[in-house]
Amino acid sequence: MTVTLRINGSACRFHGDPMTPLVDVLRRERFLTGTKAVCREGFCGACTVEVDGEAVMSCLRPIGLLDGATVKSIEALAPGDTALHPLQAAFEAADVVQCGMCFPGMVMSLAPFLRENPDAGRNEIKAAMVGNICRCTGYERIVDAVMNFLDSQKMEQANG
Amino acid sequence: MFDSMERSLTVAGSIEEALAAKHRGAAVLAGGTWLMRDPRRGVNLPDVLVSLHALPALFTVEIEKDQVVIGASVTHAGLARQLAGLNGFDAVVAAANGAANPAIRRVATVGGNLCTFDFAAADLLPVFLAMNAVVELRSIGERQVLPIAEFLANRRVFLRDSILTSVILRRDVIASAHARLPLRRAGDYPVAIVSAVRGHDGRVRIAVGSVEDVARRWISLEAVLAIEPASVSADPERMRALAAQCVDFRGRDGIEADGWYRCQVLPTLVRRAIASLSAKESVQ
Repeated sequence: MTVTLRINGSACRFHGDPMTPLVDVLRRERFLTGTKAVCREGFCGACTVEVDGEAVMSCLRPIGLLDGATVKSIEALAPGDTALHPLQAAFEAADVVQCGMCFPGMVMSLAPFLRENPDAGRNEIKAAMVGNICRCTGYERIVDAVMNFLDSQKMEQANG
Repeated sequence: MFDSMERSLTVAGSIEEALAAKHRGAAVLAGGTWLMRDPRRGVNLPDVLVSLHALPALFTVEIEKDQVVIGASVTHAGLARQLAGLNGFDAVVAAANGAANPAIRRVATVGGNLCTFDFAAADLLPVFLAMNAVVELRSIGERQVLPIAEFLANRRVFLRDSILTSVILRRDVIASAHARLPLRRAGDYPVAIVSAVRGHDGRVRIAVGSVEDVARRWISLEAVLAIEPASVSADPERMRALAAQCVDFRGRDGIEADGWYRCQVLPTLVRRAIASLSAKESVQ
């Protein structure tokens, strides 16, 4: 089966097994290894990417359902030598990244959520990241970092 | 690339095309969140599939005066979003909003939840049972509408030649509640689920999911309730005690919980569901 889609702004064509998980196309075909294949069961969230603006588990998305879709992986948030996405920068500033395996998924889950919920509180943030498991840090510091990010976004807006 | 280069996926442009593919032996692919884990379970993926994702009619939720018609391809997230605030439908929203995790809820469909034979912990099944839902099945040249309990009792037979296209819920409920016990919040399967609905006739209907292989109504508890004063069904503690006397489930053993434990927690889930139901009724 041939599937045409956009990945991080580039038109891509895939030819092969329609049930190939998107995560394998990203990592093996496009070498976008920021998306992590960990549990492959939709439990850990490490493979989260945006498909048509929504955060989904790429391990559970067969490529055959994505003809015409727009996919954004973690690499598109801060391509090349550009500055980190503010959410990534907030994680780095709060020193919450340890092994780093879960963080691309964390960022890809939270970025669209925060875009749509700029006034989210701690409980909403926790609910949004309930599908992203971290085995290093504990979650409170991650939520702290997200709150810092939201505060800085609001300050930026207030200052015009 | 990987796996089977010969595997074929038909993206159906009409329900007739989907039915024709199914008739030729294709497996129906909905959101794929269960099927994509087949390799992890040691099961080979089907070689021939047909997808329903290009059929817009299956993605709609029609809220009519007397009923709600839910297309089979509506996702859990879409269902929760579209029914939010609809009087009496809180349990449906809670079930759709509580299943798995946010990313899966954006993809997993109503039809997939109802048609996956091996998925005992499906959240929508008990709530649809308690709501007295009916399902619409399409086969070549035929449309069939039947109660969900009848469908669930014989899913393998019904789905041999048919595709589930919609779920229909009557708007004849006063209030509903959904109580589930997960081991943790992060997207695992619930140990047990209790859905409770009070109909306009004042009767409470209760259904249980994840305890046995297939969700079912708790008929013995409902029968006891039918001969008790109406006030009993609004008293969470008395309902918990009644439920404890009526546990007639054979709990399934699983890696996340033993069967006896699933049965053991049911009275407490009934209490929680009834407390939630009573709170909603008092607000109304």
